Amino acid sequence: MPVWQQVYEEINDPDFVILCVAEDTGGEAVAGPIFDAAKATYIQIVDADHIISSAFNFVNVPSAAWIDEEGRIVRIDEGTYAKIHELGNKEQSIKFGNDVYTPALRDWVEKGAKSEFVQSVETVTGNIRELSFDQQKADAAFRLANLFREHGLTEKAEEYWNLTQTLNPESINFFRQNLTLSEEGSAGQSFMERRGEYESQKKDYYRPLDMDS
Amino acid sequence: MAAAFMAYPELRHPFEAKPIHAEGSASVLYQGRQITLSETGSGPGLLINPDDLKRISGFELKPEGACYADMCIPLNSKLLTTQNGKQWFDLTAFADLLEQPYVFDQASSVWSFAEIPAKRDNMMVNGMAPDFEIPDRQGNVIRMTDLKGKKALIVTWSSW
Repeated sequence: MPVWQQVYEEINDPDFVILCVAEDTGGEAVAGPIFDAAKATYIQIVDADHIISSAFNFVNVPSAAWIDEEGRIVRIDEGTYAKIHELGNKEQSIKFGNDVYTPALRDWVEKGAKSEFVQSVETVTGNIRELSFDQQKADAAFRLANLFREHGLTEKAEEYWNLTQTLNPESINFFRQNLTLSEEGSAGQSFMERRGEYESQKKDYYRPLDMDS
Repeated sequence: MAAAFMAYPELRHPFEAKPIHAEGSASVLYQGRQITLSETGSGPGLLINPDDLKRISGFELKPEGACYADMCIPLNSKLLTTQNGKQWFDLTAFADLLEQPYVFDQASSVWSFAEIPAKRDNMMVNGMAPDFEIPDRQGNVIRMTDLKGKKALIVTWSSW
């Protein structure tokens, strides 16, 4: 996460913190080297159980919340990229991300409640995803699966990972964490098909950024 | 064929088999913590020693009920039961009452609980950040309450 490190250093305000939370079920073995390569100095968390995503009802990565000094959420649950990323070469590349989020973040750190990017309580609560009983139950099933995995009980881990996805088929996090621990990987055929389904149904893969409100 | 992108099949099941808890014990998963209970009551639900309630869920037994912050759930004979002269608190009946989802694996004696919905009202209704407690990579425990007085960007990512 070198880009967040850069943002953190540029903002350089002792009263501003970044909690960068890796949702990899592969844990420290996967996420640790990425944090280390970024020479991260912000708060680094490896969250194999998706505790933070559960707390904020996130279903995809990257997702973020801005929280003010009083503990009030002032923005939540947006497809959060710090810049435009480009994968591939000049002839053929994929671009994703945006260049409006970081300036907005900087504006908020500087101006606080006066920042035009701070949202009202109504907007914030309206943007928090409502999770059904079964979707919340999926979180519990996921942690049970992870406990079995950590104790070498592979069949039970698989059984409860499957239950997790049955209970919450909408969660991109659960879907992709499962794929990333497979031969196919998290950006293979299954992912492309899923993404295609989203596009054909005109569903948002990420909640779009709305920096006008 | 091109190498699979973001694939870690070797990390799917890298761990040796080992017991989850001592024989005869039970475990509860709650908010990312594993709480091992050396004794539980017999019955279809999870009957815990009433003294264990606080370390599991933060709720405390008081004369007015099971209480957390300014919320108190009145007790009844279903929640607090007696077996052979010993008192037990029925954690699964409590969860049912509060509409708190859970899954359990009977053969392993492990119960995994999702968050208690009433503890999340302050976020869903008032937009206040939820409480959480999680270790960082250096082993420091990070709590939402520790961030008071600072602006925080909480951002999730993954290698995938």
